[in-house]
Amino acid sequence: MADAKSAGANSGPKTYTTDFIKADTDRAVFLGNALLDDMMTALIALGSETWAVRRRAKITEMLFEKNGKISREMVEQYMPTPEEERQLTTERDDFIRNIYGHFARNGEDVVALNSLDPKSKK
Amino acid sequence: MFQRRQFLMSSAAGAAAAISAFKASAKGLAFDVEPRGTTGILERLPRLDLESAQDFMTGYRVFINGPLNRAAIARAESILKANGLTAETPMSMADTIKLMAPDPEMMLYIHNWENTQRAMWATVQHEAHKNADAYTEEMDRAMKAGPGTIELDARLEPPAYTKHEIHIQPGGYVGDPFAGYIYLHGQNVVFTGGNFQDKAQVSLAGAVPTPASGKVRRVLEQGCSIGQLTMALKLRFPEAEVWGDDVAAPMLRYGQVLAVDRGIDVHFVQQLSEKSKFPNNHFDIVTNNLVFHEVTTEGARGIIAEAFRTLRPGGVFYPIDLFTGSPKPKTAYQQFKAWQDYRWNAEIWRMEYTALDMPEEMRKVGFIVNEKGPPARGGTDRNIMGTKPA
Repeated sequence: MADAKSAGANSGPKTYTTDFIKADTDRAVFLGNALLDDMMTALIALGSETWAVRRRAKITEMLFEKNGKISREMVEQYMPTPEEERQLTTERDDFIRNIYGHFARNGEDVVALNSLDPKSKK
Repeated sequence: MFQRRQFLMSSAAGAAAAISAFKASAKGLAFDVEPRGTTGILERLPRLDLESAQDFMTGYRVFINGPLNRAAIARAESILKANGLTAETPMSMADTIKLMAPDPEMMLYIHNWENTQRAMWATVQHEAHKNADAYTEEMDRAMKAGPGTIELDARLEPPAYTKHEIHIQPGGYVGDPFAGYIYLHGQNVVFTGGNFQDKAQVSLAGAVPTPASGKVRRVLEQGCSIGQLTMALKLRFPEAEVWGDDVAAPMLRYGQVLAVDRGIDVHFVQQLSEKSKFPNNHFDIVTNNLVFHEVTTEGARGIIAEAFRTLRPGGVFYPIDLFTGSPKPKTAYQQFKAWQDYRWNAEIWRMEYTALDMPEEMRKVGFIVNEKGPPARGGTDRNIMGTKPA
């Protein structure tokens, strides 16, 4: 299905665009229920927002330690040193693993819900 | 989807202020939009929070490519075992999907991946459109600047096959005016942060074989998108005239911004790579990177034929793509990943390309084919290359 955004060749001097054919991936339901898909999407988006706040806080702390005073502009413009960048990346990866690592558990290694004996390994 | 209405959403005063704010912090070129400066050659994203959002998606990709991928492999092996198969059993994509698609763990992998793919494009697209006037002016002014050139063809109607939202990038390459900007910063997530300095393209340019005569006066990258390899080729062959062509004007326009900003003398032209303006026997080297799996079989054949026509006798054709240096998918997990890419990453023409016999197609137009040419990427010892008979 082509989006009827514009007709003909490059539609004008301002955008240099033409119509395009939209993908349908955003209409797919992967987890068997659209609500589950949406909750997963929201969970990942929430992680992104939380990380942005946390990263800003870390950068603010870095600046404060170095300068003793900070401004919003200094935080926006701050370029972490390579060492600070490594620290941030490690912290980010820990943050992601702590929250989302559960998704990577092996589904084979589950305890049967109908097992009666808590001492049973099966 | 870009609409003129959105483009003009902000008031004229607001737009003017935004441009001023951007320009005030721009460095170097008067029209350069880089409010947070650069990291090497990469213009930093214009806001810390946006950079952090992309950083999160980068980290999430690391998680997907590592632990989540391992969990998916383990689950796939369990599914295969339950069906009396092994991980090495060759399987068709259709049979693979029958087994894998109903499984929630396999779909969890795809859904997580698809989520990051969509988010990494959407955040940058939103930012570009919020500052549409500034980014448009930057591209407009770069078109009139050098050291290189850009030629756009307002009469060119891109064929339908080029209009898909490949990689589920919103608007694809032709439908969003900031497609190039979106592509660059989204691609940085795909590279999990390892390509901020175009290291991959520099490495590919270094792998391109030269003609036996050693003479390299003119080089072409077909389907160059934002010209990262085109620029890397110019760095490798500083004395040569280096061209990049592409059907997508928004990609080329951003490529021109990058080239002007970096002071690299390359030439961009909007055209179909299978129907170029170049004369016969013109180039010493014709190359391309990840183009063939984005085009129809007819398009692929046209691109190969055009490479042959425009190369001088003795000239070298060096296509770089899936399978040009590595085998095609055979096992169930390889087929699962191929399906993910084809079906859910809108790689519409991937299956046509998979069916294409590249060496044979190259021989058909007249190339002397070497299937064990120098490797383009790590993890392989070869890449196909063709030489036009002298």
